[in-house]
Amino acid sequence: MSVIEGAIVYSNLLVLLSVGLTLTYITTAVPNFAQGSFAVFGSYISLTLLRLYNLHPYYSLPFTFVLGGLLGLTVYLLMLRPLIKREASVVILMISTLALDLILLGIIGSYSDSLAQFTHKSASRFIFTPYDFNLAGLSAILLVSSLVIFLSLFGLFLLLYKTRFGVALRASMENPDLAEVMGVNVEYTRLFSWFLSGALAAMAGTLLPFRQEIVPSTGAIIIVSIFAASIVGGLANINGALLGGYIIGFSESFLTYNLSAILGTGILLYSKVISLVVLVIVLILAPRGITGVNWRRVLWKKSSSQ
Amino acid sequence: MLRTVKLNAGYKELHILFDVDAEMEKNKITAVVGPNGSGKSTLLKSIFGLATIHSGKVFFNGGEITKYPPHARTKMGIAYLPQTDNVFANLTVEENLRIAAYTVDKDEVKDRINTALDIFPELERFMKRKAGTLSGGERQMLAMATALVRKANVLMLDEPTAQLAPKFAELIFDRVVKLRDDLKLTILLVEQNVQRALEISDDAYLLVSGRVAFSGKANDLLEHEKFEKLCMGILD
Repeated sequence: MSVIEGAIVYSNLLVLLSVGLTLTYITTAVPNFAQGSFAVFGSYISLTLLRLYNLHPYYSLPFTFVLGGLLGLTVYLLMLRPLIKREASVVILMISTLALDLILLGIIGSYSDSLAQFTHKSASRFIFTPYDFNLAGLSAILLVSSLVIFLSLFGLFLLLYKTRFGVALRASMENPDLAEVMGVNVEYTRLFSWFLSGALAAMAGTLLPFRQEIVPSTGAIIIVSIFAASIVGGLANINGALLGGYIIGFSESFLTYNLSAILGTGILLYSKVISLVVLVIVLILAPRGITGVNWRRVLWKKSSSQ
Repeated sequence: MLRTVKLNAGYKELHILFDVDAEMEKNKITAVVGPNGSGKSTLLKSIFGLATIHSGKVFFNGGEITKYPPHARTKMGIAYLPQTDNVFANLTVEENLRIAAYTVDKDEVKDRINTALDIFPELERFMKRKAGTLSGGERQMLAMATALVRKANVLMLDEPTAQLAPKFAELIFDRVVKLRDDLKLTILLVEQNVQRALEISDDAYLLVSGRVAFSGKANDLLEHEKFEKLCMGILD
């Protein structure tokens, strides 16, 4: 896989993860630090289906979508909704998702041991690259991840702009109190957001092992890039997650590659620093992220000063 | 039609309304007036289920609705239009009207939107524009139109003319009367423009420090010898 292919694949997966993160943040004000572990959950579902039923990871995408969605829904119903009902602050919600991340890490870690014992193959670290193939001279993961991101975003766009529920969802994101006044059951939109967020994350998790090695703690590492993508784009806007995902994904891939040519491959261990540097620069220039900038005003100011 | 009995309400521990008994009759405009901080908006929010009810009851068409969630009250035909943020700025005018029809049968949606546009024809040329780009008066009209779309038979308006130019304010008052006369709606109107609100209303309540200081015909309050003092909250 070339560097550019790798960058596109990584950015596609980052977009899936950051769209989910942004969606649940807008609808429930929960900054979900377990989003990375949701992805690893998806990775292990695909590994299980591969080891037990010899199902190719690409074919496991529908299963991870549904099971990931159910994980998101369960987390919201059992942990977050009771906290939100008790009017927990954003900080409390954030800490609870950090705790959830540790719980998931423990569960996934012990599950990987059980799976390894059962199948007599290591499951504590794995990679799917041997199962990938070429299509028309391009790696299948590039085509599959691009197709998944296209279908997911196109579906989400159709839902948000062309259906009654989608308009209700957008209304609930903008002003939940008013949406309730209009007769929208805002709770349904929250449940949907958590299902979709979990489902998108788990699908990203199915595809992630085609690009990098997965260990139970991978979620804790990629969460840095997921948050960076959402915040750089603008946490209050789903389009921001799309934009941020590609900015962070490409920056991380290309800058790390170029730096490793100069400083040696040891720099690869610190690739997440690139995401954080981009995050800091963008936040200094645009505190509400790129989509939070009033570009018309900026352009107008620029043209009037010339 | 709509009644509160010994209503004590506020926001969490904060107590704002004290033993408020009020009744809004069918097909009439009932004005709620009073100085700032007297609890006018809280009364509307309490009736709609957006404030904390400490004690007392709210009845609608004879049935108690005190513990119903807001979306259930919307389905019953009660519409509440907040003072600000009463439309979705990022949705188009058309989408605002469509979301207002969320609880309406699909077959009826078109008719309801057409009825609303008959009362507010100004909105027709803005259907594809985002509501956030409308002027204050146009937004207020859109907010009232959304209430018509959701088949409201009770309309609770919280200062609909606040921050509007006099021309637009007069237009809004005119439409409020039209809603009562043409569509036979029951309207509960909270207004800072006391004089004009009482002129178009049938009944009135004056709230002072969260208590009812006057209840009766709007005209009687308007012609009360201490009208100006009452409106400033001076009861002696």
